[in-house]
Amino acid sequence: MNMTTPIEQREFRIVGKSVKRDDVLEKVTGEAQYTGDIKRPGMLYGKIKRASIAHARIKAIDVSKALAYPGVKAVLTHQNVPRVLHYGSPHPRSASCTKDQYILDDKVRFWGEGVAAVAAISEEIADEALDLIEVEYEALPAVFEPEDAVQPGAPLIHDVGPGGNLVLDPVRVNRGDIDKGFSEADFILEGTFAGGRPHPAYMEPNVCIADWDGSNKLTFWTSTQTSFMVRGILAEVLGLPLTKVRVLVDHMGGGFGAKQDVFQHEFLCALLAKETRRPVKMEFTRHETFVAGRSRHPCRIWLKQGFKNDGTLIARDMKLVYDSGAYGSHGPGVTIVGTTAATSLYRCENVRLEGRCVYTNTPVNGAFRGYGVVQSYYALDIQMDEAAERLGMDPAELKLKNVVRAGDIAPSGHPIIGHGLEICLKHGIDVLNWKRLRSRDRTPDPKRPQIRKGWGIGCEMHGSSAYPGIKEQGNATVKINEDGTVTLLTGAAGLGTGAHTALAQIVAEELGVRFEDVGVIHGDTDVVPWDIGAFASHTTYLVGTAAKMAAGKVRAAVLERAAMKLQVSSDEIDLCDGKVFVAAEPDRAMTVSEAMGPSRGIPAANIVANGTYEPTKSYSFAAHFTEVEVDTETGIVEVKRVVPVHDVGRVIHPIAAQGQIEGGIQQGIGHTLTEDYLIDKKTGRSLNAGLVDYKMPLSMDMPDIETIILEAAPDPGGPWGAKGVGEDPIIAIGPSIANAIYDAIGIRFHHYPIIPEDVLKALREKGA
Amino acid sequence: MKRMVDFTVNGEAREMAVDGCRSLLDALRDDVGLTGTKKGCDVGDCGACTVLVDGEPVNACLMLAVEAEGRAVETIEGLQPDVDRLHPLQDAFMRHGASQCGFCTPGILMMAKKLLDDNPRPTDEEIRFGLSGNICRCTGYTKIFDAIKSAAREMEAARP
Repeated sequence: MNMTTPIEQREFRIVGKSVKRDDVLEKVTGEAQYTGDIKRPGMLYGKIKRASIAHARIKAIDVSKALAYPGVKAVLTHQNVPRVLHYGSPHPRSASCTKDQYILDDKVRFWGEGVAAVAAISEEIADEALDLIEVEYEALPAVFEPEDAVQPGAPLIHDVGPGGNLVLDPVRVNRGDIDKGFSEADFILEGTFAGGRPHPAYMEPNVCIADWDGSNKLTFWTSTQTSFMVRGILAEVLGLPLTKVRVLVDHMGGGFGAKQDVFQHEFLCALLAKETRRPVKMEFTRHETFVAGRSRHPCRIWLKQGFKNDGTLIARDMKLVYDSGAYGSHGPGVTIVGTTAATSLYRCENVRLEGRCVYTNTPVNGAFRGYGVVQSYYALDIQMDEAAERLGMDPAELKLKNVVRAGDIAPSGHPIIGHGLEICLKHGIDVLNWKRLRSRDRTPDPKRPQIRKGWGIGCEMHGSSAYPGIKEQGNATVKINEDGTVTLLTGAAGLGTGAHTALAQIVAEELGVRFEDVGVIHGDTDVVPWDIGAFASHTTYLVGTAAKMAAGKVRAAVLERAAMKLQVSSDEIDLCDGKVFVAAEPDRAMTVSEAMGPSRGIPAANIVANGTYEPTKSYSFAAHFTEVEVDTETGIVEVKRVVPVHDVGRVIHPIAAQGQIEGGIQQGIGHTLTEDYLIDKKTGRSLNAGLVDYKMPLSMDMPDIETIILEAAPDPGGPWGAKGVGEDPIIAIGPSIANAIYDAIGIRFHHYPIIPEDVLKALREKGA
Repeated sequence: MKRMVDFTVNGEAREMAVDGCRSLLDALRDDVGLTGTKKGCDVGDCGACTVLVDGEPVNACLMLAVEAEGRAVETIEGLQPDVDRLHPLQDAFMRHGASQCGFCTPGILMMAKKLLDDNPRPTDEEIRFGLSGNICRCTGYTKIFDAIKSAAREMEAARP
């Protein structure tokens, strides 16, 4: 689509309204079927034997006792599964993938990696059989920190890739003249930043069921955001044509990005089912969702920026090191996206960036909401506040001066559309009366003298779609039934965001029928059009546009057929709320059903249309204004109030969009203050792989959130200007909290999570 | 070893043989076939399996099925007053967008029912405290609070 195409303006009947989400009725009654709710006749249960060492060769593995255990039907090890080197993150048409894993290998690369799998008649028996598998390891030296992994002579975790434990060659971005920039700077700020290992902690543990039929076709139910990628890579590794792999997913209990890998257990489940000729179910324990799931990449950042005394940012030099864990997974994509993102947000002509991604003997890190950008913008936005401090300026003023604007080159390489970030910032400043907040009386409340209050701002921008890293494609098929109802077929996953409802709204709006007359078919790779997967905040933008295109074609065909029946030309008639009428004589009308049905010798119509859309990218923007209270006696930081101001272009479903923002803030508060999946640096063991020891913000911890959504900078690439919203909130909240803590107690933290111990220690060092 | 257990689920009498070590959650999901109650952790941390036993909220994963002997279990499948009518909480959850992925929803709805049964006009703090054992990872809880307050108002208004 031409990016200069004007956005069509119209009075909306359905778009922009919070219609009832069709998936939620089933959810509130308990009828919604998730993968774990499915039971197949004769089903077996699979379990995985996990390594109790972080880096080792398997010298011997004895499964005889397990195989002899009553109720055990099959045991798999590296000796009896296909040995095919494959991707973990199988984004098609993407350069940013690493083929570095086998289904099972004779080498262990992290504590908890699967080394064998069992299928048995019950979960308990499968579990007991795991203890009967004897594995003899030859321990190898292990590395748990990227800094150690890149030292000369460090033990190598893989023998593929560029070597030196790098997942990919360093990502380098250069713009302008960095030396000239620094030489013209009036002052320079330099600092190091560190991000922890937050885990998505989706509520539904990973689960799959494999069932082979007599024709050697695999039916595979799995909780995934990327069913066609699961199909593709399963077929490739198992040596099957795509017609012999059918992937099904109905409701999903969240994913947040982390359910877009093809996991080891998915291959093992399929192979156990093949071996036993019975359906096999494999469901993670909560512990396994940590150990064998995917977390955000821990990151170390060095950032040096030069400023002019008027606040102009003139040079940015940045080095980022992402910890991939034991496999590449999304490491390449995260490194490319997170690094190139730092070309933008705040304008700077002279930029030099270098991103590295390093293997360590720790659990695998993967895709997670905010994909590499959470880390890099945390550093950028905190250093911006430091620059404001140095200049004696209000941080809001400095940010406003430097934020990207229309026409600036985005990280994707194309010009930004609209002044979204500037408008969000200005709006928040006005709504909160920010100047008055800055100059407020800071005397502590005599009733709570240990409490200090602070306000901070965090800014972000994030793309809808993964372009240019991945050349994306959105597809939709729309067909109209003879009663005038409409069916949308989509491959987009329903991971809980309300995506299918938004797509149905778009189809109803464009076609001219009622929302309740659109049904959505999804989640079956044998039926729906190919889909790239639900990630990169792109479903509404990408699939929404494809759905609009398909609906437009169906509308044209309906009008043509109605024109024939009404005996007028099709440009004389209109279609609205399921009624077709002659525009000049609204009484000459028929329902869509009458237009579609047989009459006067014209048979019932079979109208089906496809929409295929290959976009570039749009950017959404946000500024978060956050109030914290710091308890100087306990070090506990409480987030009290957040005013998130977002530009998402055209809003399709306001309540669903708000829900994305509020949930993202919840996760972002966790990342910034409490959440860190800890790995023991001596052994590589997980220290807190459970929902009590891994601390997330719950109902008692949530601040007041006053969500503001602006349609500030609609993008012609999305349906009526709609852009993404899923990932944005988790990016802006982090630095807003860190900056608010500084405002409260005058201490800068450059890392997350900022736990109470850190706050107390820093207060002591400061002598407060 | 299997033992017989006699209890009611959503008002319906059940008599079944279960393993002594089987959790009420597994019995409900696998033996009774009511899969609306979810397994999010199986160790009592997440609240997704909250059901009411004799009117009291319980993590079904932490209770043995045999302990349900002679007791009345209510699950999400029994929350609707009749087939074509939703409980006000269910309706409010739909209207307010209080359910996203929906995996925590059955547990939260059962906990919210208990909360409103005991306390028809809860304060914001009482709602927050009431849900402190139920993890929701999608919504930030904001819309869940809105929905519970809205349902409380409607139930209050509908009372004679």
